[in-house]
Amino acid sequence: MPEIAVSIGSMDWNKTGAWRTQRPFFEDKTAPCNAACPAGNDIVSFIQKISQGDVEGAWSLIQEENPFPGVCGRVCFHPCESKCNRGRFDEPIAIHALERFVADFVSQRPKKIKKISPQGEEKIAIIGSGPAGMSCAYHLARLHYSVTVFESYSLAGGMLRIGIPSYRLPKDILDREISDIEALGVEVRTGVPIGEKIQIEDLKDYQAVFIATGAHLSRSLKIPGEKGRVVQSGLDLLKKVNLTGKAKVGERVAIVGGGNTAMDVARSVVRVGKKATILYRRSREEMPAFEEEIVEALEEGVKIRYLVNPIGIKEKDGRKRLECLRMKLGEEDESGRRKPEPIPNSNFFLEADSIIVAAGEEIDTSFLPKGIGKREGIVLTQMDGRTAIEGIFAGGDVAATQRTVAYAIGSGKKAALAIDCYLKGKNSEEAIRQLLIGDGPSLSIFRYVHPGERPRAPHVVDFEELNMDYFETSKREKEEKRPLRERKKGFGEVALTFTEASAQREGERCFSCGTCNECGNCYIFCPDASILKRREEMTHQVDYDYCKGCGICFVECPRMAISLEEEAR
Amino acid sequence: MKKVITGNQAVAYGVILSRVDIVSAYPITPQTTIVEELSELIASGRLKTKFLKVESEHSAMAALIGASTGGVRCFTATSSHGLAYMHEMLHWASGARLPIVMVNVNRAIGPPWNIWSDQSDSLAQRDTGWIQLYCENNQEVLDTILRAYRIAESVKLPVMVVLDAFVLSHTSEAVEVPTMEEVDQFLPPCCLEYSIDTREPAAFSVITTPEYFLEFRYKIQKAMEKVPEIAREVDDQFRSRFGRGYGSIERYGEEGAEVLLLTSGTVTSTSRIVVRKLKEKGQNVAGLKIRRFRPFPSEEVYEAIQGAKKVAVIDRNLSPGVGGIFAQELRACLYSREERPQVFGFISGLGGRDITPDLIEEAVQYTWEHSRPEDEILWLGLKR
Repeated sequence: MPEIAVSIGSMDWNKTGAWRTQRPFFEDKTAPCNAACPAGNDIVSFIQKISQGDVEGAWSLIQEENPFPGVCGRVCFHPCESKCNRGRFDEPIAIHALERFVADFVSQRPKKIKKISPQGEEKIAIIGSGPAGMSCAYHLARLHYSVTVFESYSLAGGMLRIGIPSYRLPKDILDREISDIEALGVEVRTGVPIGEKIQIEDLKDYQAVFIATGAHLSRSLKIPGEKGRVVQSGLDLLKKVNLTGKAKVGERVAIVGGGNTAMDVARSVVRVGKKATILYRRSREEMPAFEEEIVEALEEGVKIRYLVNPIGIKEKDGRKRLECLRMKLGEEDESGRRKPEPIPNSNFFLEADSIIVAAGEEIDTSFLPKGIGKREGIVLTQMDGRTAIEGIFAGGDVAATQRTVAYAIGSGKKAALAIDCYLKGKNSEEAIRQLLIGDGPSLSIFRYVHPGERPRAPHVVDFEELNMDYFETSKREKEEKRPLRERKKGFGEVALTFTEASAQREGERCFSCGTCNECGNCYIFCPDASILKRREEMTHQVDYDYCKGCGICFVECPRMAISLEEEAR
Repeated sequence: MKKVITGNQAVAYGVILSRVDIVSAYPITPQTTIVEELSELIASGRLKTKFLKVESEHSAMAALIGASTGGVRCFTATSSHGLAYMHEMLHWASGARLPIVMVNVNRAIGPPWNIWSDQSDSLAQRDTGWIQLYCENNQEVLDTILRAYRIAESVKLPVMVVLDAFVLSHTSEAVEVPTMEEVDQFLPPCCLEYSIDTREPAAFSVITTPEYFLEFRYKIQKAMEKVPEIAREVDDQFRSRFGRGYGSIERYGEEGAEVLLLTSGTVTSTSRIVVRKLKEKGQNVAGLKIRRFRPFPSEEVYEAIQGAKKVAVIDRNLSPGVGGIFAQELRACLYSREERPQVFGFISGLGGRDITPDLIEEAVQYTWEHSRPEDEILWLGLKR
């Protein structure tokens, strides 16, 4: 007898997997950032690429869903970051800054975009070259369609071009991403306003039309004295600044409104050397403008007067007097914000040399074909972008109340998919359901083109499902900003791009919620050596011959990339 | 080369000179400075040993069990509650016949909370199948580590080297530190008959039915019985190489003494002074140091006490309900013998209280004056 109990052979014969009552399996799930991205970016995957040092790979992944990383990385209000699970641990990942880093990094490298040749006879017309129109054109080109974009202005880009000041979105960034889309073979015909010489009804050569004309009419305040040249619309001012680099305003400028347009106007006014005061009828808490915009505006010297509502404008000797009422906040209204109520007899006068109204935008309906169907000031569409007229689709601001760049990009992508289904006689709503990220509403067109690749269960990973034992707190990387003095002098970009080092550090902070990043925890912890490690030809796998189903891998996985289910008997 | 070092540093030197492959430990006072010393050396790159951080003593021993099964030389150190926490793994180490060497710095077990020296922690592990060696001074500590690996690897049983908290662990003494070359000639690399070989997969310490279990325990007992002989061989070689030697016991003082004073650990050093002093006063007293507690050196002890009428045992430990553990072991060893001196079981110095020369003298005088103890337990310096 030996001194210790040692088997003569191995214990391979003992298939302990037969004892299992529950079964672990690798199953990538949806990260909350991905589910929150209206453009449908696969954020976890592209951040993984950044941390691996493969920035070009990250760029290619973004390109699968979104042709505008340089734009989105700058101007998107990044709902992904508000949903980032890391935000409940320390600070959310600076996703927008990483996306921007990828776009800017790759733009420094020589790249050759191959023209995609159309297959088949179908031609598609897109009206409007904003984010919705160009996103639709981009994806349709990648689906091998011949696409023509009609743009009324002399330059493509829509609201990105005329509505967003270049200190937030430099024009060369926009030019670069639009020309990348054109390089695929998309034809952009600028200076061709639909509704003047050409009507939508005339586009008979096209088998499908996508209307993405945006919302370009400024809402008025509907108060006495507003008519004529007394006031300017915020959008008109931005248009002038963006196309000519100049703005004709007086010394003291009053801006009415609390949205991003009001901020953009006020900050542009500061940049041409004038004084800007924003008048807003509610308090800061209810302001629809993005927090960062408000903060930067205040930094730059913009004054904001809250709970003030103009009720009339008088002009005397070139000076304008705004009669205002002070407001107080009452009950919540249908938007969930507290409703402003006037305080009686609180009237006061405010002097200004220019008054600019930025109280929201409406769509121009004059060119729309008859019978298209509208409701509450927008074109009515199905979830896939179909309008009441066969072959005509709509998306972006013209068909939505949620007017953001990312949403517009997502709706353009959805329309591209719907148009493909329409032309191929497929049920697009069914197809969309298969492609939803999490529970939607955004979708992945990558899954449409490459079914079965990078599968993700729709389950959105919650913070509570992660194993925080494996993470240490760390500071979010901050984007450097141009010095304040310089910022106020011109339209140079305020925020600067991450360095490679800070992008790498920020990328490494990502929890990679729901997506295996081969950290190897399962392999290390498995007491039965039943995790088969990733090799070239395979990802991690469970060896069910020996896995006893103890669930340790499931518990120790830091990122919920393993699921556990009852064993079927 | 002579160095002035603490007991804990002596341990660290012993580990370094033994070319230990893996150290895994969890900090606990008064052991901590041992692994601190080692981890710093390892971190600085001067020591090529692997250091494994763990979250508990239980894990420290479990890690070493894995490593030792892989055939490498292992070390850990602990104290008191840490040792208690390891209890399950101590059985595993001996049952799997792994030659792990561990230092336990004797410390009382709470509550009441106490960090000072007493033997209750190591003696509570007497039935776990570990060889236990108790040291008297820092030189002995260093030497015992080197010898422990020889014994452990030859009988395939783990060894616990025990030293007193603070009195040795944190007190500096002059210690002769041998060179690596010298130690290399005394202690060959670890070589085990059974160790993991990935080319020949086998399961270790597999389930064993009642038909065989008894036999594995029998083999452990037989290995324990081989220890005295192996220890003697190791001692001879050590003595000839380094000029120092230690038996399983040491008798000092006059031949034919009527009263014998039995001690272990640093109490022995104090006892040597008392024995010398009493001799000068004309009392014929001798001392007996027990160095190896497991396996208990019954034969040597019996031989050493021949002629003594009474044995005063000073136990720095207590098995509540019975008394001192060394006294118990002595009584057990004497029961079957014809000559059975009276055993006086003194308890003293629990929780680190000093066992002074006066207290020891009091114990000897009591023994001298009484033909038999008035009680099973005789408390020294007890405040009533």
